[in-house]
Amino acid sequence: MTTGTEGEALNGANGGSLAGRYYGRGIPYLPIAGYPGKLIAIEGTDGVGRTTQIQLLREWLEVKGYGVVETGWTRSPLMQPTIELAKSSNTLNKLTFVLLYATDFADRLEKEIIPALKAGFVVLSDRYIFTALARAGVRGIDRSWLRSLYGFAIAPHLVFYLNVDVKTLIGRVLASRGMDFWESGMDLKHGDDIYDSFRTYQNRLLREYASMGDEFHFRTVDARRNVDRIQDELRRQVAEFLEGIEPAPQRSEP
Amino acid sequence: MTFSLLHATDFADRLLYKIIPPLKAGMIVLADRYAFTAFARDATRGVERQWLRELYSFAVRPDLSLYFKVPIEVSVDRLMARRVKLKFYEAGMDLGWSTNPVESFRLFQGKVLDEYDRLVDEFGLQVIDASGSITEQQRLVRTVVAPVVNARATEADMVAVGDEA
Repeated sequence: MTTGTEGEALNGANGGSLAGRYYGRGIPYLPIAGYPGKLIAIEGTDGVGRTTQIQLLREWLEVKGYGVVETGWTRSPLMQPTIELAKSSNTLNKLTFVLLYATDFADRLEKEIIPALKAGFVVLSDRYIFTALARAGVRGIDRSWLRSLYGFAIAPHLVFYLNVDVKTLIGRVLASRGMDFWESGMDLKHGDDIYDSFRTYQNRLLREYASMGDEFHFRTVDARRNVDRIQDELRRQVAEFLEGIEPAPQRSEP
Repeated sequence: MTFSLLHATDFADRLLYKIIPPLKAGMIVLADRYAFTAFARDATRGVERQWLRELYSFAVRPDLSLYFKVPIEVSVDRLMARRVKLKFYEAGMDLGWSTNPVESFRLFQGKVLDEYDRLVDEFGLQVIDASGSITEQQRLVRTVVAPVVNARATEADMVAVGDEA
């Protein structure tokens, strides 16, 4: 069994002293210090089961009386159509790809995440900047430039990394929706074969994610297990964190 | 922040498709506004100055950067004389400093000009006094541009010579 909590048993500030603060230079006109909300990121590669876990986590948190807001990669109303359009044409360069993602993220940060944190919500983020860092890293974009670019991001209070091996991943993806051009890294031109390309690309992505584990305080969760086992582990760690700060709010006082 | 990144994305796209290829082909590229516009405009909106410089570190440093400088009143008068309807963002209306577009423009662009002044030294912008007549300005521009273009022409010749050898 893999849990990321050993050695971090004294949690409460999983992201180190940075949790809930900007990673880098931040957004000067949006001071966020002291906002009561909590930011929880669920990371992991394509098809690992993030979305399912977030749905379950959300229901559970709401029943416990927390206000929950979800945010997800490329879901900004401003940028989603543009990103889809750019992906469907052949004009997308590595650099513009990275910047489009960053723009989408900035929009959601300013319009969804920060207001929700200010209002005391638990924000569940389906993917966070680590996906962008991993994808761009695999595509050869300078890592220090990327970290500086995302210096306006907020360090989450908890980052769960759903870890899986490529073999398990392939089985899952094929059993559900099949392999897709971008998730297979076909733009990297490893070859025409989508299966081989998927395997090579996802292997490199997984290595990239793994290399960020220490730097960004990932709590690694073994995502090869079934949905319920993973959910139990997430709930246990989330509860430990949230209740360590203040006991679960009560919706209706008797 | 979003505004800034959206412009950076657009800039990256133009850089890769419209600027770098002609440069590689040895052509002269004239850019009407460049990263400096973003530095001035976005910093005025409260984006971190150093972050902006790091963000745009993928940009090619121009061989020559001209900054056409006018006092804010001249700028306002020129726009008013043409009865231009001020654009929402150009007038900085998003910042909510004034509900009057002209007043907002004056406040916002005034601060943008202050930012440009900081850039002049930092990036060695060549200042052209843009309150003069078009002819005067153009003469001045030509005297500044000529040596840069001539130097490049010599380099290009040298490359051509090198290829033959």
